[in-house]
Amino acid sequence: PHLKASNSLSHSLQAKMSRPVQARRLEGIDKNIWVEFVKLAATYSKVNLGQGFPDFPAPDFLTEAFSRALSGGNHMLHQYTRAFGHPPLVKVLAQFFEKLLGRDLDPMTNVMVTVGAYQALFCCFQALVDEGDEVIIIEPFFDCYEPMVKMAGGTPVFVPLRPNPPKDGKLMSSADWQLDPAELASKFSERTKAIVLNSPNNPLGKVFSREELGLIAELCVKHDVLCISDEVYEWLVYDGKQHIRMASLQGMWDRTVIIGSAGKTFSATGWKVGWVVGPDRLLKHVRTVHQNSVYHCATIAQEAVAQGFQRELMLYGKPESYFVQLPKELQQKRDWLVRSLDGVGMKPIIPEGTYFLVADISQFKSDVPDVPNSDEPYDHRFAKWMVKNKGLAAIPLSAFYSEAHKNNYTNFIRFCFAKEEATLKAANDILQKWKQEKTSS
Amino acid sequence: MFLASRNFCCRAIRTHQRRTDLLCRSIKHSTSATMPFRHKNTRRIEGLDSNVWVEFTKVAADPSIVNLGQGLPDISPPSYVKEELAKVAAVDRLNQYTRGFGHPSLVKALSQVYEKVCGRKIDPLTDILVTVGAYGSLFSTIQALIEEGDEVIIIEPFYDCYEPMVKMAGAKPVFIPLRCKKDGNSASSADWVLDPAELSNKFNSKTKAIILNTPHNPIGKVFTQEELQVIADLCIKHDTLCISDEVYEWLVYKGKKHIKIATLPGMWERTVTIGSAGKTYSVTGWKLGWSIGPEHLIKHLQVVHQNTLYTCPTPLQEALAQALWIDYRRMGDPDCYFYSLSRELQSKRDRMAQLLKEAGLKPVIPDGGYFMIVDVSTLNVDLSDVDEKQPYDYKFVRWMIASKKLSAIPLSAFCGPETKKQFEKYIRFCFIKKDSTLDAAEVILKNWNKQTG
Repeated sequence: PHLKASNSLSHSLQAKMSRPVQARRLEGIDKNIWVEFVKLAATYSKVNLGQGFPDFPAPDFLTEAFSRALSGGNHMLHQYTRAFGHPPLVKVLAQFFEKLLGRDLDPMTNVMVTVGAYQALFCCFQALVDEGDEVIIIEPFFDCYEPMVKMAGGTPVFVPLRPNPPKDGKLMSSADWQLDPAELASKFSERTKAIVLNSPNNPLGKVFSREELGLIAELCVKHDVLCISDEVYEWLVYDGKQHIRMASLQGMWDRTVIIGSAGKTFSATGWKVGWVVGPDRLLKHVRTVHQNSVYHCATIAQEAVAQGFQRELMLYGKPESYFVQLPKELQQKRDWLVRSLDGVGMKPIIPEGTYFLVADISQFKSDVPDVPNSDEPYDHRFAKWMVKNKGLAAIPLSAFYSEAHKNNYTNFIRFCFAKEEATLKAANDILQKWKQEKTSS
Repeated sequence: MFLASRNFCCRAIRTHQRRTDLLCRSIKHSTSATMPFRHKNTRRIEGLDSNVWVEFTKVAADPSIVNLGQGLPDISPPSYVKEELAKVAAVDRLNQYTRGFGHPSLVKALSQVYEKVCGRKIDPLTDILVTVGAYGSLFSTIQALIEEGDEVIIIEPFYDCYEPMVKMAGAKPVFIPLRCKKDGNSASSADWVLDPAELSNKFNSKTKAIILNTPHNPIGKVFTQEELQVIADLCIKHDTLCISDEVYEWLVYKGKKHIKIATLPGMWERTVTIGSAGKTYSVTGWKLGWSIGPEHLIKHLQVVHQNTLYTCPTPLQEALAQALWIDYRRMGDPDCYFYSLSRELQSKRDRMAQLLKEAGLKPVIPDGGYFMIVDVSTLNVDLSDVDEKQPYDYKFVRWMIASKKLSAIPLSAFCGPETKKQFEKYIRFCFIKKDSTLDAAEVILKNWNKQTG
């Protein structure tokens, strides 16, 4: 009997040891574009227009709020606050969004604070997407949506924005990239749980129009589908365009979770303060995930962000409002970069919003040869070559496509223009020099 | 049936805007009127919505109540820790994203501190993950390594999040209680032990991991070398992982030593050790923690992290790194905060114990941590007329809050369903409190017997 027991023990041990140690939910989600490209930028770049963060300072009123909180003598700000959001922050967010959505909001049940919009997305997927659910993702997309859907056991279903270049040879706008309504409708099935909307869109900068949103809303209502609305760039909208909130459309409040970010709103990406706004019957599940994953978010940054919002609430619509000044400043930077890229033969797609810009690099193909039968999409190789040889960092557009569609658009790269004038000038210098080298060779 | 007819109705609609509006309005009305909203919670969070803290932290908001419940220091963090954070606020680039798996200067500082403690080389980039509190480390570890079909051994009483996190990962929690070896007459946390045979029986081919918490919350037990060896032997025999929650690692009282199970032979390669800035520096609101272990395990935690929140806040990580360097440099010195805090807390522990005894209660003196469990059955408070379905300790704490204006946490919140009866005569007090809070508690405890009921 002793021998039998030890045999069965070693047998089960063998079975255990032959299984991978990690959970199956990690399958296919271990790769990450940022790990590679952030390292490359850190190693090689002289000018980094890659990862999306400002290289100009966060506004004084925000950093001063942080300092005030620290010097205020309330050392309890170093301790846990309310798990679902620091009371002053959820209160002011509720006030703000009441204005924007035109409906009453309860700060305790309609708002939840998260560790950046990233964690808000995670909580929403975990709370609302089950194994077997389909989730529609519009391509190109912020890369985390796909692995998050997969980690929740869901199946991503992709639908592309398709470029319709203007006939007159003018530069494309992000508005020229559109969904085909019939194609979109065909993606909705009985298994469709949610659609992820990102407007203004990263990487293209597209700001979905009321009609485009209406199209999506109609389908959501028809198929009883939820909308996960990533609106982190809500304030970065140019040319007098308006950011329209999906949740304000007919029939959508009850089925939409809105995600926002203090990092993008206040140019402080390193603070990692985000939020979810929505109806209690969806938020309560999001809260359950949050309380079983991180539970509390850091207190002090929430206190400072609350003060930032209080200031903006008072200055709403006024010229001194940061939400008026920042897009104004960024629009100038956008236009500068557009001229810069156009001047050297890269074709920028003029973004209606966000601080990203995608450019067509087909004219620079000569420097970076095609490698037929290569697994790596061309834009990937181009971006790597560019940072190593020219010191200019940008992100290949194929990073924002599903595996199946990575090779559909391989001549585009994404630049971030939330950068100081000096940075943009330095980028221009690199591009000009590069152009000269090409014409002289 | 109703669903089918609604779809039929929809298929006939053109995409004309006006008709769409009408449709939406009619669907909205029919939806809200009779259509059940099909969007319930996902299976993974079924039954995980309630939580002991929801009720008992609300209490903390009432300033008239002396709060010895939630583990929240009301003492000030050391001044240099606050100063480092203030310095950081002035540095622009520290307001933007840092490295996802942990701010470089922080992981470097952690690797140095723990190399010293563990006596082994720790690679800051591959062996460490910085997380949103130890809570985030527990979540990342469990999501990375635990799944449906797995069993995870949890020692009772346990920090309450272990059970829901294991369940959320689809696995089965297997409980084993600490038992008082002195016939229920426990004076010390050391009296609470695991039965080795009982523990051994909990291990089987499905056992993926055991969660160890030392120093232990809520009892304050500091597992001895021998006790850890018993666990280690079983982990090695059954090829089981160990998730070692050591957030109170520095809070160990005189005569006791915190031992890291990862330093036992054969354990480094199968252990993830979790630490907390909040507990180390009395800054629970910074929500920074870390997981340390072999690359072949930490890499999976990093995958979870990059798909959940990607990076932790930069300014706090930088400030923490600077604080750790300050203490790293004086690790041979008794003034090092890693040791001075436990000395400060020991006198609070002793004062708390004294007050409780004088009030007729039976405290279990903890060897570590900043919690103390207390047997309240000696007071014979009759709560039989209150809701019978609730465990005694829940009723007792609510009664104590209402009539004595003193709060604590009921111990059965930290137990699995089978063991609640065993622990329902205990409540947990937190003593990492400033003198004035303890003074206020003293007044209540001294007057306890003067009031009736």
